[in-house]
Amino acid sequence: MNDKYLTVSAITRYLKSRFDNDSNLHTVFLKGEISNFKAHTTGHFYFSIKDQGSKINAIMFRTNASKINFKPADGTKVLVTGRISIYEATGNYQIYVDEMQEDGVGNLYIAFEKLKKQLAQEGLFDQSHKKQIPKIPKKVGIITASTGAAVRDIITTISRRFPVCETILFPTLVQGENAKDDIVRNIMKAKDYDLDVLIIGRGGGSIEDLWPFNEEIVARAIYECEIPTISAVGHEIDFTIADFVADLRAPTPTAAAELAVPNMIDLEKQMNQYAIRLNESIYKKINYQKLYLDSVKNSFVIKSPMIMFENKKQGLDLMSNKINELITKLISDKKNRLDNLKNNYVIKSPEILYQNKALILKNVIDKLELLNPLNILSRGYSITYKDDKALKSVKNLNKNDKINIKLKDGMIDASILKIKEDK
Amino acid sequence: MAKKFEEKVSDLEKIISTLENGEVDLDESIKKYTEAMKLIKECDEELKNVEKNVNKLVAENGELEDFEVEN
Repeated sequence: MNDKYLTVSAITRYLKSRFDNDSNLHTVFLKGEISNFKAHTTGHFYFSIKDQGSKINAIMFRTNASKINFKPADGTKVLVTGRISIYEATGNYQIYVDEMQEDGVGNLYIAFEKLKKQLAQEGLFDQSHKKQIPKIPKKVGIITASTGAAVRDIITTISRRFPVCETILFPTLVQGENAKDDIVRNIMKAKDYDLDVLIIGRGGGSIEDLWPFNEEIVARAIYECEIPTISAVGHEIDFTIADFVADLRAPTPTAAAELAVPNMIDLEKQMNQYAIRLNESIYKKINYQKLYLDSVKNSFVIKSPMIMFENKKQGLDLMSNKINELITKLISDKKNRLDNLKNNYVIKSPEILYQNKALILKNVIDKLELLNPLNILSRGYSITYKDDKALKSVKNLNKNDKINIKLKDGMIDASILKIKEDK
Repeated sequence: MAKKFEEKVSDLEKIISTLENGEVDLDESIKKYTEAMKLIKECDEELKNVEKNVNKLVAENGELEDFEVEN
């Protein structure tokens, strides 16, 4: 019953024979990226080849492995030729690689992206560093091949747009191994030709053709170049590192020339435009001043200065009236005051004053009279002195003390017989 | 010629803007106006007397030689 079941080895052997008998799998050309690459001590290479969608195991025996001309590593894009079969022990299918070479174009793209990222981080592409392309250059430098479409397009465009300016061509290799050094050398050389702008570029081509413009030394040379640079490498779509580093990128050589020099006709038109605007503004200014002057001329005062004078006169009259008024008022005030004073009762009968004073005096005299001690005396009173001091009391007096008594009409000297003090 | 030319053009633009917003008094404006017209005349002349377009080529020894484009 169970003899219809196959063993694993049997089925694997069957599959292997199917693989081995399929001629398509005898020599397969494969493109992809190396991953988990291991070089075994025996000298055999074990790795896999992958792309975005899939992966296949690969093995390269020492004899073939020793013949390759590059150092395989994970991530390297490669082109391999080999036979595909099944390794029974594991049941996996794999490619037995006979030949392997680097996939040039693939690697170039990797290198391009890597350098672009690095230079971007370093700030070589920063907009702030880019220099302004002069509007009206005097001398335009051109770094490209001395033959071919690029130089022809650039020079004919410049001659058509702005024949006044001078172009200086630095014949340069734009393709091949030593192109990059030639470009750098010419960029350095361009410094001493007092250029206003520098166009660096070439016509279209494959990524390999344009590769010199992706080289790091070219990028740095352009970055450090003091002259404002316009890059024009390849066609519309191709963007090289040079394009990112240059101060301005033009899609084609012709466009580069158009960006580098103004168009004569535009300039002339601009000049006329300026002339018109100038005339307009000065006319407006003069006209404005004229109108202003007219209005001043017609102004009332200028027209009949006499009026101004009359105003002045009137003003004067007003003032003089005012002054007269003031003066008369002042005088009459003063007069009134004087009259008042005259009628003043005192002035009229000054004797009032002294009568008044006389009355006062009389009172004072009467009072004095009253107080006059002599009067008292006349009424029988006397003043007793002891040692010239009026006595008021019998105290501290002694018998036989000398005293003198002042009467109305004379003085008595006496001595005390007896002291009787009132109780 | 171009450097001066470009400076002349920018001076021209400055004068025009000052005149157009009218801040300047009469005699100053007239002075500026004449100056501007002189500039325009000079710029025009420079554009008019078109020298033959000079294309040079830097030879190996660094010398400049004439260069004709073969079209």
